[in-house]
Amino acid sequence: MCGLCGELAKAPFRRSKKLVPKETFFLWLDSLRKKYKLIGPVKVGSQTVFKKLNSSKELFMEYESTMFSPGKLFIYKPKEDLLRFSINDEIAIDEIPPISEKQVIIGVHPCDTNAILYLDKIFLGAYKDPYYDVRRKNTIIISLNCTKVSLNCFCSSVGAGPFLKAEAGYDMLLTDFEDKYLIEIKSRRAEELFNIKGKRVGASELRLKSEKEKSLLSSFKKTINVEGLDELFMKNIEHPVWQYTAEERCLSCSNCVMVCPTCFCYDIVDETSMDLKTVRRFRHLDACQDIRFAEVYGGNFRQRRAARLRQFVSHKLNQTSQYGVLGTVGCGRCITWCPTGIDLTEIAKEIQKS
Amino acid sequence: MEKPRLGFFKYSCCAGCEFQFMYFQKHIIESITSFDIVYARMLKRGGNPHGPFDIALVEGTITESWQVDELKKIREQSKQLFAIGSCAIDGGIPAIKSTMPELEAEKKVYKDLSTIHSIRPHSVDAYIKVDGYIRGCPPGERDLHEALASVLTGKKPAFLQYSVCVECKLKGNICVLVAYNMPCMGPVTNAGCGALCPSMNRACYSCFGPMKQANGPALARKFRLMGLSREDIIRKFTEFGADTIEFRRVIETYED
Repeated sequence: MCGLCGELAKAPFRRSKKLVPKETFFLWLDSLRKKYKLIGPVKVGSQTVFKKLNSSKELFMEYESTMFSPGKLFIYKPKEDLLRFSINDEIAIDEIPPISEKQVIIGVHPCDTNAILYLDKIFLGAYKDPYYDVRRKNTIIISLNCTKVSLNCFCSSVGAGPFLKAEAGYDMLLTDFEDKYLIEIKSRRAEELFNIKGKRVGASELRLKSEKEKSLLSSFKKTINVEGLDELFMKNIEHPVWQYTAEERCLSCSNCVMVCPTCFCYDIVDETSMDLKTVRRFRHLDACQDIRFAEVYGGNFRQRRAARLRQFVSHKLNQTSQYGVLGTVGCGRCITWCPTGIDLTEIAKEIQKS
Repeated sequence: MEKPRLGFFKYSCCAGCEFQFMYFQKHIIESITSFDIVYARMLKRGGNPHGPFDIALVEGTITESWQVDELKKIREQSKQLFAIGSCAIDGGIPAIKSTMPELEAEKKVYKDLSTIHSIRPHSVDAYIKVDGYIRGCPPGERDLHEALASVLTGKKPAFLQYSVCVECKLKGNICVLVAYNMPCMGPVTNAGCGALCPSMNRACYSCFGPMKQANGPALARKFRLMGLSREDIIRKFTEFGADTIEFRRVIETYED
């Protein structure tokens, strides 16, 4: 368990469940705006984007998927200033403290919630990333069980959706009940914050909830059997699927990595001012599909495109030894946003066939 | 400390890179004042084109044989030499003609060929070794800054070596290729522009040229599926990268 989950779990609270009219819920949400920055899914043209809200009226809770996951936009930032230093007679370091604005992210799907729990393992594990840590602590996550299954979703195959099973690490869980939400309290701070009285949830509502889940589970088009993939991938390092997919379709553009909610690699860059007096150090998302990613003095571990493609796919599907869980949450973004539609589940199936 | 001696050389091109360099000093004055400008024809009269130089910047495509001779001499006289702009790096606009025999190209443009001494256009690194590429048309300020600051500090410059998609995603743009079906060249184009066109809801047209090992044929197949004609695909891949291995593979596939 990560450090943060541990802290959150320590405080006792009642895991209450309530049925609340959507109208009431959104009024409550708007009342949070005085103290919190509200973030949620908003329709922009034909797309949905997680962004800052001025009012809950902007929300588009029926969205299917977004290009970027909320966790990799608002908790783990794509780009972040770390420090500046000036070079005069001495070197003076001016650290940029982590920003700690309080925020509420609403409408986080199960896959994206699980992705945040995965990022926790990296940034709050053996070494605590102060930037991630402070933002994670100041973020209230209101998850939302799915109402639709997109073409590329395969969360049901990896246990990450379409209904959220995790019990800790986030604050509230919503399930759509037509004009109401079934609201489940998952943290002490949510219990304190959510002071709305709702209808008590009985056995019939819980039955309805599991029926909703069942009907969603039957509408998945994409599936993958992840059992034994660890070993299978290791045995098939030189499988032809890597070479021909890389040659015929992979553009090495890194779109898969950039939209992946669990890809966590970053690069640190120093930018020297032209008067050579100040240096700005920042980090930004890095991508293993870039040719210089595995370049070291004297060589490159992944000079071949096929090796880079394999790196991404196997990090998602086989390296459970790294953090004890699969690297994928089955959101399907890497399939949707790949310009040539490379599908990691198809690659896995090719390997399983042989 | 003595200022590094800088030479700026121009071959077949619009001189936009040198103007970009001049413009750059408007907000970073040290880019000019930190250097001893020994030779830069757009910046000042006269000057000494023979060197030696601490840093030489070479813009333009090589399209005449005297340019080759001069370029080799500059290389020998320069501690560091950077190719600047798409013409010098990838052949750029002047290399569009490399898709046809040289004489045919000449005949298309000139009536009297007696004074024309052109050769098949090539990038600067076809003739000499370069220490880095300041990509773009005009060059991106980030890489220009990196090159100049690296010479001043004596470090190895770290130029961007990934696709426009990475910059585009870092900016949080919605992908115009996937979401809006625009024939965007971003996936095969080297970064450095800050994803300027996709940020304005336009498809990238690869003015920064191909990134290393870019998979041109795979993107061309995607364009074909999107309904682009063979001619359109060839045009997209010849506009700035006709002299590059990455894009030539596409041109050869789709040529009649």
